[in-house]
Amino acid sequence: MAEQSYTFRIQRNQVAGNGRLETRWQEYKVTMPPNATILNALEEIKGKQDGSVTYRQSCRSAICGSCGMKISGHTRLACKTHIGWVARNGVVELRPQGNQPVLKDLAVDIGPFFKRVHTIRPYLDEGPEADANVGKTAYEQVNQVSQCIMCGCCYSDCTMAEVSPTFIGPAALAKAFRFVSDPREGKKTDRLRQLSEPHMMWSCARCAMCVEACPKGVKPMEAIVKLRTRGMQKGFNDGAGQRHALAFHVDIQKGGDLNEFTLMMRTLGLGGTLKETGAALHLMKKGKIPSPFPHKAQGFEELKKVYDILERNPLDVETKAADIVPE
Amino acid sequence: MSLDFAFYPGCAGKQVQKEAEWAARAVCDQLGIKLHDMPRATCCGAVSLRETKPAFSLAVAARILGEAEASGRDLCTICNTCLQTLSHANYRFKTEPDILEQINKANQQAGIPAYRASIKVQHLLWVITDQVDQKALKDKIKKPLAGLKVAPFYGCHNLRPAEIFASNAGEKADHLHRLITLLGGEAVSYDGHDKCCGFHVMLSDPAEMRGMVAKNCLSAKEAGAQVMITPCTLCDMSMGAYQGIAEKTVGKSINLPEMNFAQLLGVAMGIDEARLGVHRLHVDPKPILAQTGYPLTRSPCWR
Ligand code: SF4
Ligand code: SF4
Ligand code: FES
Repeated sequence: MAEQSYTFRIQRNQVAGNGRLETRWQEYKVTMPPNATILNALEEIKGKQDGSVTYRQSCRSAICGSCGMKISGHTRLACKTHIGWVARNGVVELRPQGNQPVLKDLAVDIGPFFKRVHTIRPYLDEGPEADANVGKTAYEQVNQVSQCIMCGCCYSDCTMAEVSPTFIGPAALAKAFRFVSDPREGKKTDRLRQLSEPHMMWSCARCAMCVEACPKGVKPMEAIVKLRTRGMQKGFNDGAGQRHALAFHVDIQKGGDLNEFTLMMRTLGLGGTLKETGAALHLMKKGKIPSPFPHKAQGFEELKKVYDILERNPLDVETKAADIVPE
Repeated sequence: MSLDFAFYPGCAGKQVQKEAEWAARAVCDQLGIKLHDMPRATCCGAVSLRETKPAFSLAVAARILGEAEASGRDLCTICNTCLQTLSHANYRFKTEPDILEQINKANQQAGIPAYRASIKVQHLLWVITDQVDQKALKDKIKKPLAGLKVAPFYGCHNLRPAEIFASNAGEKADHLHRLITLLGGEAVSYDGHDKCCGFHVMLSDPAEMRGMVAKNCLSAKEAGAQVMITPCTLCDMSMGAYQGIAEKTVGKSINLPEMNFAQLLGVAMGIDEARLGVHRLHVDPKPILAQTGYPLTRSPCWR
């Protein structure tokens, strides 16, 4: 491919003496083919133009997980991303990962990220629920998430992590699912109990940013959905997230539409609803109060029937891992 | 091309955010897009039903999609979460025939006709920007926006995961940008355009949800936005109706008028503001719209 000229706008960060981060932007020009990687360009810049530009790298093959950074707005692996995919009018913007403390330029402190992963006990536990029989299909779920290389790209782009320093984050939850779904795991229920606590799986905003960001197809949000299903099946339903979720299948059978009028009461209880009175009054100013009697859909009784059929003969509709093809 | 759709406004469009539905119907009237009601359609179950009852959620989706299919039309919605939920189910029905067969079997036992996975799930925004003749659309713009700075807020479930949607999604999506340009406005570029409105954690993580609203609105304001538009009734609820609540939580004034895309489109078409439900917006866009040179249309005799 023919070489082209690109401008790299790189965020230069330096922790000053007082501990504050000093940030400035610096531009570098490189001439490269569009199918060269961002890492190729960084090596060119560091090797030939400015040795002080700092970033992490090791494997150059999307395996070690060290080169994640914000490239043209979203977090990607520098070694896997072609310049041509992300250049906008010939400009590529590089910033360090989000939601992590910056050390220098494009390098962040990955300690807090790994600490979150460690809180879910990233190893098999012995215990009463361990199954010694590992059948042919036993890893269909495990394989979906065991591709993770702990690069932190998902956590960097996570919209909940941006506003919540306590949210455990997508990678740790995907890792948790890897153990919950492993037949050999001995404490599945105990894990689900822990994951049902505040700031764990129920705090995910379901934005799917992690699904888009992950360079390895892990789809953390899909793992979170499956964890929630398993948690509710074990009866860990004592939280606003769970109660809210549990309202839907009831309402759909009752008439078809969601009863938004009683939803808040059912989710938050009386105390919680009273706390939200200010918000409710604010909405009432514009007449934004749902009807207590939502419209009933024609033939909604059919749904009660199919619900009962599926409760009697449960169908496994979980997505399974695709076969792993080496890249 | 015939622009006939089975119209699925979603629970919010039928209840608290009904102004978006009014505006959708008003602009479609003018553009010759026919929106047919779906009397059998129920709530799609949003993000929740897939968690609580995964198989039932697919049965519900197949019943909704089947109603549109039986009428010979694609389904069209104005709620991103309905769009994502139904697109996700439809994607699975099209790519996993075994699942479709099993779901159809259960549904048929309950008297629900089988779904053949032959239709597409559309968003009205896509219909207007990709399927309506753009010249004809431009001819309908009576009051171009005269450089109004508009923040496009797409909403997660219009964009991700990209592979399930019947139109450009993910980072390739530019529908709102194109619409704003066509209306004569300027699409501001800001960090929050593809982020989360927090709607689905409104009750479980209220402070965080309000933090998201404030962050997105403030990033739009800092980039010079005078008004924000979204293609989603739930984003409208968060970014518009909850904006004042978010202001109190974060202790900062925001004051960014937020409208559904169909409302701003209707304004530019010169449709009566009462018909577009502009009075139901929490942050009144009228002062800024008047300031940029075109007061809204208000005919006293509407209705
Ligand atoms: S889907 Fe959940 S975990 Fe994934 S990025 Fe969004 S908020 Fe974070
Ligand atoms: S889930 Fe994907 S993005 Fe997140 S750490 Fe693992 S490999 Fe990286
Ligand atoms: S250098 Fe190892 S993942 Fe990029």
